[in-house]
Amino acid sequence: MLGFLSNIIYATVRMAVPLLFISMAELYSERAGMVNIGLEGLAVIGSLCGFLMSFITGSVWIGILCGALVGILINLIYAYATISLCANQIVYGMAINILAPAVASFVYRIYFGDGSSLNQISLMKTISIPGLKNIPLIGPLLFDQTPMVYLAIILVIFTAIFFNRSKAGLNYKAVGEHPKAAATLGIPVIGTKYLACIICGALSGIGGAYLTTCYSTTYTEGIVSGRGFIALAAVIFGRWSSGGILIACLFFGLCDAAQIRLQVSSLSIPYQFFQMIPYLATIIVLALVGSKQAGPKANGNPYRKEER
Amino acid sequence: MKKFLAMLLCGSMIFGLAACGGGAANTSDGGSDAAETAEAGEATHKVGFILNSSINDGGWGTACYTDLTAAVDADPDWELAYTDSLSQDGYYDAMVAYCNEGFDLIYAPGGEYTDAVMQVAEEYPDVKFALLNGGEDIPASAKNENVTCLLPDATQIGWIAGALAGLASETGTIAFIGGMELTTTLAKYEGYVEAAQYVAEKEGKTVSALDAVYANSFDDSSKGIEFANAMIEQNADVFFGDASAVDSGARQAIDEYNEKQGEIKVFDIAQPADFLGQNDCIIGSQVTDNSSLLSLVLKSVADGTFKAEVTYGDLENGVLSIGALSDSLSKDVQDKYLAYIEEMKNGTFMS
Repeated sequence: MLGFLSNIIYATVRMAVPLLFISMAELYSERAGMVNIGLEGLAVIGSLCGFLMSFITGSVWIGILCGALVGILINLIYAYATISLCANQIVYGMAINILAPAVASFVYRIYFGDGSSLNQISLMKTISIPGLKNIPLIGPLLFDQTPMVYLAIILVIFTAIFFNRSKAGLNYKAVGEHPKAAATLGIPVIGTKYLACIICGALSGIGGAYLTTCYSTTYTEGIVSGRGFIALAAVIFGRWSSGGILIACLFFGLCDAAQIRLQVSSLSIPYQFFQMIPYLATIIVLALVGSKQAGPKANGNPYRKEER
Repeated sequence: MKKFLAMLLCGSMIFGLAACGGGAANTSDGGSDAAETAEAGEATHKVGFILNSSINDGGWGTACYTDLTAAVDADPDWELAYTDSLSQDGYYDAMVAYCNEGFDLIYAPGGEYTDAVMQVAEEYPDVKFALLNGGEDIPASAKNENVTCLLPDATQIGWIAGALAGLASETGTIAFIGGMELTTTLAKYEGYVEAAQYVAEKEGKTVSALDAVYANSFDDSSKGIEFANAMIEQNADVFFGDASAVDSGARQAIDEYNEKQGEIKVFDIAQPADFLGQNDCIIGSQVTDNSSLLSLVLKSVADGTFKAEVTYGDLENGVLSIGALSDSLSKDVQDKYLAYIEEMKNGTFMS
């Protein structure tokens, strides 16, 4: 039983980490009033770039860095269109979801050609803390992970402190709540929104790159598999707070890990029932948690400087 | 000025999308592009290939693409274009695009394309369609008599893998990962289990199979990783699958497990091409040579003798076979396995 529990927890963390990066990307974006539904596309291009650069250079760290950079680059299209041109954020987010996977597919085919061989890379190595990693249940969970998992945890803690305990974080949040009031206080609204898009692009790209540098040795076009959309739900479920998002991501990861293990457990229940679990849980949780508006007040609204 | 910039940005994105969308449909490596071919006056027929996984998935997609490429390369009258990584809602549109571009034949490698193929076949009576693993009644039910089915014996495919699983399993638990619950996938699973149990019984041991699991996807390799990990926890030590890139993920997890154990204790049987050497865990492969079936279809379309019929493939006519066996299998196991394959060929297996 302990083995089953520890395995399911371990799988939960594995599945939650990429989701956590992508959800945190959306948090930074929405806290500045930028609803970005293009996370799926950004993660796809990040996963391709992470894989490709790791494949070329042999360094997963270069892969992750390039995943972040290409995420920023693609998200700057969204940023320019929605911030400078005041275009609709949903429409451009969707455009990114169509454009980025197409570009990823195109680049992959350009580089690897029509060859049908399976291209694989070596994954990032885990860092084990001797002794501590042998503690039952929490040992492998906390002390035998890749550096990216530790980075994700640090990101959650940093974000919580930044938004709640720092002046810069409060200024940042003010842009998402009431940009005009923020502007009267001298906060650079446009600059903050661009910064939000840069952070969003970088974290989404890292989330995608995590999949191909720490999780799977190959790149497949379905590797992101809807995580960009689940991340949107995780931000709402997490009530736009980093701690809440961490819980939401672990919850979604747990649902997915549980449905896989329940399918394998041969309980003589049709497998479709287990496959429903993550979706069913999402609907129920959002119905319960999402009843009250808690997001940034100016979320999704274009900011026009001269407008009264 | 802003309006102009917005229009410019939209235009560039649409232009980019069009270019990238075009990138998804490609002419094959083996043939030159359409313009060059036309100039040379060589290829006079075109076959379009659609796929819901990638041609680089290291499994089903790779094998199907390689088979078709081999058939096309052997016939200078034909050129090939493909569209891969399609979602279900894209099957119809991709085929219609090929039909509108004057393609003579469309090849869809799987039963999951049946509905879309039947719809397009009805709308484009002059285009021929080849459906791999379609139902036996499909050609007769096509109104324009323009659909042919290539039907490798799914039960025999399962037997080929199952016999090896029965011999190789030490824990007595074997596993199967499917992409979707297709008729052919079910037949493969059933054949795999019955052959494994039959062979194990003959060897004086007992083998049981975990329930078949389905990833609900053919291209999410992370699902394969998680399924394999969960099944190894349930003591499974031989895997077989029918899920394209998901199988690649499963093999990754098996290799990682074996690496931790310091020896190869969990095995995988690949299909539908010989993938020995791709991963350390692969001990053998079930091979389906669709290229010979496809060559017949290409020839019949070119010379006007195409018929709406079912073409079967099995061990007897050579469409099904086994790939190379891993050195990690003892000579004794290899010999026994080859003997079981001979029994399958001459019809005495499990009879």
